[in-house]
Amino acid sequence: MHYALRKLAGAVTLVLGVTFVSFLFMVWFAPDPTYKLLGKNPSAAQVEQTRELLCLDCPFPVRYLRYLGELSTFDFGNSWSSGERVSRLLARTMPVSLALLAPGFVLGNALGLLLAMVAAHWRGRWLDRLIMACAVAGMSVSFVIALIAFQVVFSSSYGLDLFPVRGWDVHDFGDYLRYVTVPTLATIFVTLGYNTRFYRAVLVEELGRDHVRTARAFGASTPEVFLRNVLPNAAIPIVTRLLFSIPLVVIGGSLLIESYFGIPGIGKATYEAIGAGDQPVLKAVVGLTPVLFVVALLLADLFSHALDPRVELR
Amino acid sequence: MSRTTLLLVALGTAALATLASCGGGPDTAPLRVYRHSLDEAPTSLDPVHAATVYSNYVIRATYDTLYAYEYLARPYELEPNLAAAMPEISPDGLVYTIPIKQGVRFVDDDAFPHGKGRELTAQDVIYSIERHFDPANRSEGQWLWRDRIVGLDDWGTSGANYDADVAGLRALDSHTLRIELTRPYPQLPHTLAIGFAAIVPREAVEHYGPEIGIHPVGSGPYKVESFDTAKAVLSANRAFRQESVDIRAEGYDESLHAFTHVAAIDGRAPPFLDGIEIHFIPDATSRMNSFEKGNEIQFTELRNEQADAVLASRNPPALLPAFAQRYDLSTGLEAGFLYLTFNFDFPEIGRNEDPERAARNHALRCAMIKGFDWKARNDTFYFGLGRVFPGVIPPVVPEFDPQLSMTSVELDVEGARKLLADAGWTAENLPELVYADTGTGNHQQMYEQFRGFMERIGYPPEKIVWKPYPTFGDLQAAWKQSQLPLVFHSWSLDFPDAENALQLFYSPNRSPGSNDSNYSNPAYDRLYEQSSVMPPSPERTAIYHRMNQMLIDDCVAISGIARTRILLWHKNVIAYPDREILGGFFLKYVDLAR
Repeated sequence: MHYALRKLAGAVTLVLGVTFVSFLFMVWFAPDPTYKLLGKNPSAAQVEQTRELLCLDCPFPVRYLRYLGELSTFDFGNSWSSGERVSRLLARTMPVSLALLAPGFVLGNALGLLLAMVAAHWRGRWLDRLIMACAVAGMSVSFVIALIAFQVVFSSSYGLDLFPVRGWDVHDFGDYLRYVTVPTLATIFVTLGYNTRFYRAVLVEELGRDHVRTARAFGASTPEVFLRNVLPNAAIPIVTRLLFSIPLVVIGGSLLIESYFGIPGIGKATYEAIGAGDQPVLKAVVGLTPVLFVVALLLADLFSHALDPRVELR
Repeated sequence: MSRTTLLLVALGTAALATLASCGGGPDTAPLRVYRHSLDEAPTSLDPVHAATVYSNYVIRATYDTLYAYEYLARPYELEPNLAAAMPEISPDGLVYTIPIKQGVRFVDDDAFPHGKGRELTAQDVIYSIERHFDPANRSEGQWLWRDRIVGLDDWGTSGANYDADVAGLRALDSHTLRIELTRPYPQLPHTLAIGFAAIVPREAVEHYGPEIGIHPVGSGPYKVESFDTAKAVLSANRAFRQESVDIRAEGYDESLHAFTHVAAIDGRAPPFLDGIEIHFIPDATSRMNSFEKGNEIQFTELRNEQADAVLASRNPPALLPAFAQRYDLSTGLEAGFLYLTFNFDFPEIGRNEDPERAARNHALRCAMIKGFDWKARNDTFYFGLGRVFPGVIPPVVPEFDPQLSMTSVELDVEGARKLLADAGWTAENLPELVYADTGTGNHQQMYEQFRGFMERIGYPPEKIVWKPYPTFGDLQAAWKQSQLPLVFHSWSLDFPDAENALQLFYSPNRSPGSNDSNYSNPAYDRLYEQSSVMPPSPERTAIYHRMNQMLIDDCVAISGIARTRILLWHKNVIAYPDREILGGFFLKYVDLAR
């Protein structure tokens, strides 16, 4: 607990640093949103009124301190575009992104780990080469192309016609499966190569260690070696990678998937906020991301310590 | 991948699909729902932000306006909607008296006591117009009534107190509105037909605050059940006033409209459906996939790159037989146009204190206009179906002059070269010009084509510099701050009157207003002011034509083209879709074959 509190206190500096830089680039140096907000025929007086109303003419310290105040209370006001409360927008869109991306995230990592284990076990053999070749091929395919292909194959009237082409009309678990399957398949397809290569590298390193060789010399079977000697030691980089991916899933969503499949998640909302110069939404996203990363960092440290007591919490 | 693995994947997918289908979905819903699609989403459904076609689609289906456009009549004709009749106008054109229908109620909503919608009155109309002048609302439609209604501008600058009276906006009784103008404004009834003029109850604005933008409370034929940037779901307002459609009065013409089967709604009162869904799908491929699916969206607008896969012929547009069996098609000129204007704030191409340089700049602009190949632009980007016209009065308005010389839109490379040479322009002394647009592939192709056109008249390609902007908002901010020498623009008419296009070059509207060219010509301004108070008449049309000619003679813009839109919809949809004049007014009349 003492460590966690100390770490959180230290994290404040990190959050301040990250929010300062992101505020500088995303808000302060961002294009003036006044004209976008006022449409095609504003008067000069209207432009002035709006800039004053939205504090766009305020000095940097005033705007940044306001932003920190908003961040500390998690109250970013209302979207400049739609008028929706930002907290409501986040509460509406983040669960959608989570529900959309979680299956692909979990399955993509699980499958990646499984394939990595196979490849690492048969390192240098034809199966390893095949898996790695497929991984590289998968990584080489553009996400957009994968989305289009999966939509055509599984959803369109020219393909298997099994799932909705797009949308997110989810009322029960059946609906959920209908809408999440194709984006999940596309996500797995695109991320599997990255996951497999990463996990393979970690596992190959572990498989070459002395204790693994010793275990094998004592006659341990391959499953035993993986379960007792390799995976526990490889868990630290694996868990760290997983934890660091979570903030991106929660806050970042997936712009491409959400836009292409018409799913109202946080990624789409963020993209639209950028296009509209909707600073309250941008400030929320920009502010919450480092906060979540700091939490992930803390959790990664705690997990590492739990998995290997030699990792000190300092 | 082995056959076994392939089989397992296929079986797994099929099992998921079977399981998923147990949950039901839109295709099993018993409700009669029409599913429309648009290529962008509205940002807000608050009428003070009803600046786009997209927001107008939802706003016009959920709110009422005093006037509306006849469903089928072209050119567009106004008709009373919430108003009981067309306005009574005083002889001096300054006072409009508008009777409002009795018994019209807002939809039931938590904003009202006990959740019951109350009757709409003249005071609601006044409140809705006043909101545009409240600085807190950042209205995008204020310009429609700015400096037009007695006391309204002052009301806004002196605190926007909704309990204070505005001299020019009075309720003579609960259902009679009196509008007093500072000067005649013959376009006023048109402004009362667009989304900006939608009527909002004060209770709803006070109840929802800024969130009125996602929670509309109107008195239209539909009400919003949910709205986000992926989809708007509307359900029928069963309490909507019972007014039977007279299809002849709406402009029905057997020869033009029979294929749409809209005659089926004659004598019946809208709304005809249980609901409408409007899907916002920017990606054209995804939109087409959903359209062809059969049980998803029932309407799409064809993109240029999709034409060859769908059309048997482009001119006249006709569907391939496989598509013709399943879909209806209509084409129509957009109510607006595309043009490229020169920014007169830039002395290297526009206004210049030195008369000699000003004359050379004039020659340069005229040469660039002569070098622009409208046919190539039309063929490459607009199916070859756009209508090129001279000046800025587009074909869709009644004041369009079909007799006007086409010289200003005809390619004349030799003439352009001669103009440049006579004015002393050489490859060395021609100014460097920034061509800016949003950085999409399509826009970059347009830039490359433009540069190619200019190269043919001797303009060095390296002197036409591409500047992409990440978003339209960023580009718009650059226009509004007069930072770009060339402004490639599209203008959608707010109402079918040439005034709406000609005001684009009126000098008081200069940046940040709608005059992005920052053109300033006292003679033009005088004619604009003279015509702007005149009711439609041959005299006014003649003035419009003179103004148009001035713009052509001064070589103000490379203009213009009105695109032809190709609209497709499923055969079971009974409708005559139209997205023009800020779109969406046809949704009220949509029905589905039973």
